Amino acid sequence: MTGRGADTVIRARGMAMSYGGRDVLRGVDLDIRRGEVFALLGPNGAGKTTSVEILEGFRRRSRGEVDVLGADPERGDDAWRARIGLVLQSWRDHRRWRVAELLSHFATYYRRPRDPAALLELVGLAEQSDQQVERLSGGQRRRLDVALGIVGRPELLFLDEPTTGFDPRARREFHTLVERLAREEGVTVLLTTHDLAEAERLADRIAMLVGGRIRASGTPAELARSAAARAEVRWTGDDGTHHRERTRDPSRLVWELHRAAAGPIADLEVRRPTLEDTYLHMVQREEGGAGAAGSGADVEDRNGTVSGEVSAA
Amino acid sequence: MRGTTSGAGAGGATGRHWRAGFLRGGIELRHLLRNPKEMSGHLTNVVVALLLVVYVGGEVADTATPMSHLVLAGFAAYLLFQIGLVNLPQMLVTEREEGTLLRLRATPGGIPAYLIANGLLVVTVAVGTLGLLLLAAAVVADGPLPRGAEGWLTLLWVTALGLLAVVPLGAAIGAVLPNPREALALIMLPTMGLLVTSGAVFPITSLPAVVQQVASAFPLKWMAQGLRAALLPDAARVAEPAGSWELPMVALVLTGWAILGFLLAIPLLRRAARRESGSRVSARLHKAARSGAVPA
Repeated sequence: MTGRGADTVIRARGMAMSYGGRDVLRGVDLDIRRGEVFALLGPNGAGKTTSVEILEGFRRRSRGEVDVLGADPERGDDAWRARIGLVLQSWRDHRRWRVAELLSHFATYYRRPRDPAALLELVGLAEQSDQQVERLSGGQRRRLDVALGIVGRPELLFLDEPTTGFDPRARREFHTLVERLAREEGVTVLLTTHDLAEAERLADRIAMLVGGRIRASGTPAELARSAAARAEVRWTGDDGTHHRERTRDPSRLVWELHRAAAGPIADLEVRRPTLEDTYLHMVQREEGGAGAAGSGADVEDRNGTVSGEVSAA
Repeated sequence: MRGTTSGAGAGGATGRHWRAGFLRGGIELRHLLRNPKEMSGHLTNVVVALLLVVYVGGEVADTATPMSHLVLAGFAAYLLFQIGLVNLPQMLVTEREEGTLLRLRATPGGIPAYLIANGLLVVTVAVGTLGLLLLAAAVVADGPLPRGAEGWLTLLWVTALGLLAVVPLGAAIGAVLPNPREALALIMLPTMGLLVTSGAVFPITSLPAVVQQVASAFPLKWMAQGLRAALLPDAARVAEPAGSWELPMVALVLTGWAILGFLLAIPLLRRAARRESGSRVSARLHKAARSGAVPA
């Protein structure tokens, strides 16, 4: 998690936000590198939108240091804006405009815009170019929002819950589009989502934001490995009692059990929690209110890996 | 760290704002002209005014000026007033709700272009409506037209100053009102009140003195008086409360409102733009969806 110079597109240290005495963000650190797709994953109300709005320069943070493309977002000027693209959840603007007309118009605000016709091709709206914006389906509208977000060739693209309310097909098409943008165009993407599968599919790195705090971050593989690191071993003893133990070394525990036992062990089972188990567990704890004031120490450790207990299903 | 100096110089940026603003205004105007619902709103006003002119009989005071001419001048002033203080705020509130303002805020130079485009749109609609009304009245109902160069000049400056008095004020109102549904209710009542008390459609001298004094603090009375000065023969001024057109006072009051409007509009629009964010727009949309105003 080290950011060096111009390779770091977003850097936040202790980013915090309180509204009327309620802490929405409690000190978030972020380092997002040029060219990566970074997912901010968390349940509703975790502080994702607030984080993104601070980084976009739309909201004033309460505390902390934030640097986006070399500037403090609160003081970002037009030249800074031109390097950023946004796709928000609920744009319904310009409903009377035609698709190509709208995209061509927004191209005029930038010095080196993309070709609108080629861009409509890229987002799969070439056939709809003469259609009125209000006649587009939800998925088409969001793809138009992406086109509008990248028409000025931004270096950084924010996607705030981009697939909320999509059917599976629209979601898949959207994922393909984001992958193309990231891989072929080299755009740095900050994506927020409450959908773990979406984050795993799209992101190079994921930060789990729960209760206004980053509880874990890393590549999907790292997160999955550390989630699996504390396995649960279950068995039934000779006296018929059920046992369950959590360990980082299930193989050793099972070996010790066998050495102690006279014969085979009944109902022996080793479960490795998936990333999904861990994520759901964090969310449940948060929603249960237990984690709201707690330190979260048992699910977070300093080097950015995740561990934690997983309740038996 | 890399700086943020890749943008154009100030001159180039301003040029681009104006270009984008004009383009935007032109496109919005085209959409308006093609929208039967909105067009019928503006055309209905013109038709109502024409009907009034046709049906109002009699003469102004002891002059040969038809009463209908006085009514038409007053109604023309009311139309300008309404475009600035009812239609413009409604448009701004709607565009805030839909996220148009946020989209432009997220675009470099978007807010200046937005203001230029909307200013252009409002002025074009206002001048177009006024022109259509005067022309149609003249053709259909022998309505008044300015007499000589002086009359045209008066029409021009009263219209320009009247719009300057109401457009920034309307923008300020549009920047603070909550949503399009409530906005209409909040604006229409005072507007109708002023329409009645400002002597726009019937001579103001028939109203109690207190009401006249209150109404003369607002721009509508002076816009109507100025347009009467432009459209009616000089003899008709005997029907005015002061016995004259009081053109210096018209200029003074309208300029005052223009200054006040700008002083209010600049910080309020800036505040409205600064407060826009994705979560705000979606909160408003959810509220609107619950009240059944827009599809969820």
